[in-house]
Amino acid sequence: MQAMQRFKSMYARVITAIKRTLNLGFVFELARTLAAIVIALSVAAIIILIVSDDPGFTLRVFLLNPLTQPDGFATIFSRAMPLIFTGLAASVVLRAKQFNLFAEGAFFIGGFAGAIVAIHVGLPGLLLPVVALLAGGLVAAIFGTVPAALKAKLDVNEFVVSLMMNFILLWIGVYFLSNVFNDERAGDITTPLFPEHARIPYISQDSFFTSGVFIAIAAVILVFIFFRFTRFGYNIKTTGDNLAFAKYSGINPAGPIFSSQVIGAFIAGVGGATEVLSHYRRFNWTSLPMYGFDGFMIAIIAKNNPLAVLFVALFFGYIRTGAVQMEIFTRMSSEIVTIIQAVIILLVAAQAFLMSLRKRLMMRRIKGLKHVEATVEV
Amino acid sequence: METTPLLDMQAITKIYDNGVVANDNASFSLRKGEIHAIAGENGAGKTTLMKVLYGLEKVDEGRVMLHGNEVNITSPHKAIEHGIGMVHQHFMLVDSLSVAENVMLGAEVTKRGFIDKSHGIQKTEAIAKTYGLYINPLAKTQTLSVGLKQRLEIIKVLARDVSIVILDEPTAVLTPQETVELFNQLKRLRNEGHSIVIITHKLKEIKTICDRVTVMRHGKTIGTYDVATITEAEISKRMIGAEVRVERVERSIQGGKPILEITNLTRHHPGEPSLHDVNLSIRPGEIIGVAGVEGNGQRTLIDILTGYASSYEGRVLINGVDIRGRSIKAVRELAVSHIPEDRMIKGSNPFGTIGENLVSTTINKPAFNRAKGWLINGRKIRQYTQRLLKSYRIKADNTDVPVRVLSGGNIQKVVCARELDSQPSLLIADQPSRGIDVGSMEFIHRQIETLASNGSAVLLVSADLREIFRLADTIYVIYNGAFVGAFNNDGSVREDTLGEYMLGIKRQAFAKEVARRDAGNAAL
Ligand SMILES: Nc1ncnc2c1ncn2[C@@H]1O[C@H](COP(=O)(O)OP(=O)(O)OP(=O)(O)O)[C@@H](O)[C@H]1O
Ligand SMILES: [Mg+2]
Repeated sequence: MQAMQRFKSMYARVITAIKRTLNLGFVFELARTLAAIVIALSVAAIIILIVSDDPGFTLRVFLLNPLTQPDGFATIFSRAMPLIFTGLAASVVLRAKQFNLFAEGAFFIGGFAGAIVAIHVGLPGLLLPVVALLAGGLVAAIFGTVPAALKAKLDVNEFVVSLMMNFILLWIGVYFLSNVFNDERAGDITTPLFPEHARIPYISQDSFFTSGVFIAIAAVILVFIFFRFTRFGYNIKTTGDNLAFAKYSGINPAGPIFSSQVIGAFIAGVGGATEVLSHYRRFNWTSLPMYGFDGFMIAIIAKNNPLAVLFVALFFGYIRTGAVQMEIFTRMSSEIVTIIQAVIILLVAAQAFLMSLRKRLMMRRIKGLKHVEATVEV
Repeated sequence: METTPLLDMQAITKIYDNGVVANDNASFSLRKGEIHAIAGENGAGKTTLMKVLYGLEKVDEGRVMLHGNEVNITSPHKAIEHGIGMVHQHFMLVDSLSVAENVMLGAEVTKRGFIDKSHGIQKTEAIAKTYGLYINPLAKTQTLSVGLKQRLEIIKVLARDVSIVILDEPTAVLTPQETVELFNQLKRLRNEGHSIVIITHKLKEIKTICDRVTVMRHGKTIGTYDVATITEAEISKRMIGAEVRVERVERSIQGGKPILEITNLTRHHPGEPSLHDVNLSIRPGEIIGVAGVEGNGQRTLIDILTGYASSYEGRVLINGVDIRGRSIKAVRELAVSHIPEDRMIKGSNPFGTIGENLVSTTINKPAFNRAKGWLINGRKIRQYTQRLLKSYRIKADNTDVPVRVLSGGNIQKVVCARELDSQPSLLIADQPSRGIDVGSMEFIHRQIETLASNGSAVLLVSADLREIFRLADTIYVIYNGAFVGAFNNDGSVREDTLGEYMLGIKRQAFAKEVARRDAGNAAL
């Protein structure tokens, strides 16, 4: 009986929570983003129609192959995984209105650090990948303190510092890779192989679906909780929204300004390590992987909402998978993806897009209510 | 039969994106050469109606007739072309620019491809002369007092050669003298053929300067009346649907140690009004009012007391603790509440929800936390903020609404609710009822009195003398950074007497006055 009661009250609470989130505004934002995606895909389709010798086939490969190929879904998720991490990292940083591009360098150095730990630290079983991932995050976070502290303490522009840091870390990384951690026998700039138990396993033998995806999803949930339910998250949001008000309310803005950037670096660093230990057998990056910059695009489209970051990253994974398929099977270039991304960004950023439709829906609903009121009064 | 009005807004309906019906079949008409007031509760839709006219909000239904012809005003630019200008409820100035640059912003005159700065300066000076609106064209806007910013906004509008001037609560931040000045300027404008719309919560102003008044309620226009034939009480009754009853809360100043003790406080800082040798103490249960024209050091005093300004001479004790070197946060931790001058900058986070805004200063309280302070207790916070929403009559469906979409007065209520309900030992209130309607103002004033009757000390700084007369036990007048007069608020002081002190025309032999006040208080 009591259990029933408790279940009922919990059910009611969940329902109100869902209703609260699913107000017209939210639903409309969602619909707007979906519409932007559809339009962007149509633009891509038109270009393919014009350019391709066999547009029907090309379109099918581009749009349907990722979904119908045996490994399709696994590939989409795998491609989305690093983007989820960097998208989250960027969203945390942007929430505090910090224009810190360090996610790029953090992803790189996090991957490198994770690889080194995997190779050179002898830990048994599951402990090794766990420690390697944390090490990746930690090292990235430590480097992340440089732009963060310079901004928080001395008000040095984080944009410039973080951008420079990216390249400094890349060249330091490449130096250590080729001179210290290089595998002499490989005949290339690369580390030795990771021990097998350091790698993040695929879910099953015959699929490329890496379990790193679950780590990414866990990160999404953690960031969501962080902003919804913790004071730190609240302080970061408030500082980003209105600095003067944050100070007035008794928040020392240096805290959120610093911690948002370091947390962002940490997430991107864990992402780098996850990527390396999921998809690589050895570490051999000698250029920036560009996932960090993609992360910013994703965070902007997702309006810094962590749950939306997940879905936007998955969509990016999808079109990129399609583009690779297209490149394999047809003569279309995969650059088309860039156009799709650009169109989505433009439409999502354009506040007025579809607003008049929303207005009409609103009017109708209110008129309806008024009608009801009037009848009741009579 | 009436001649065609200059301007006629017919059956205007405006629904905001979130479904709020801000104007519901509202009508408004303006005659040439009149001063026309719009009155109504907070959130009644006054600002929205004028924003529709000024092209800032798109109308959903209804039409606007100008000189008998329908016009379609889709942007402020178009509005100005039609000779309509508006001074907003919240300042729309670029702080880093000079006065002249702000005046010409968006209408810059160029000379060989470059902005002609001297033109802006000339224009500003010309308007200053014609209308008596004096201001230094070269001053940086951020250094201006609120009163001067207001003046700059009006100059900005006049610089566009408009014939209809809309003023959204222009006097909310002005002192009585400044208001009188403004009214003289408005009369001058009217005599030169301008037509003026003025939104205000001060019914007395309607009686003194306006020809007609339109009352709004819940988005509808209730009616338009000749000011000569309607009393203040009738206006407020039509606004609210009931009469406002003034009820005082019984209280007395309690003995014991003062909560706030200021001795020989002095601060000179370039670009900011100074403070000279200010002495003040406030005991539990006491409300001290500081009256003064904007820019005479009030802000400096408040900045020091709230931890914003850290370099000063003299001493400030709050509950016996010297606040020297304390951060804003550390001062708040001494149970100090602060209602700031500007609700949109310091006072609120427009992008945050009402709920988030209501707990911004109390979110660290154990009651609002869970899991040893790691998590926020969302349910407790929701209960608390929902209660505040109701008791302060903040006009919104729930606490998840972003503050940005509230009307000006309702934002002010959010700020007041947060600061008054956090059980402060010292409340520093900078014009707390700014922009709040008559009914809610009475409620806020009662809350402040209740706070004092429970043993808190209150420092009330206000340009609004009604507020000071209503609440203060003792009134200090600040002029040029120093207290120049102290008065027992026992009904014997008159507004114009205070005014003379505020303008520096008179000055008391101050030590004597303070002694008299203390003697008077001892006798209480
Ligand atoms: N941008 C907006 N989006 C959504 N709702 C809004 C917006 N601006 C105002 N509102 C709502 O419209 C209603 C009318 O607001 P308006 O600003 O016109 O009131 P007002 O009469 O000027 O009040 P006040 O005296 O407080 O300034 C309010 O309920 C307010 O919450
Ligand atoms: Mg208003």
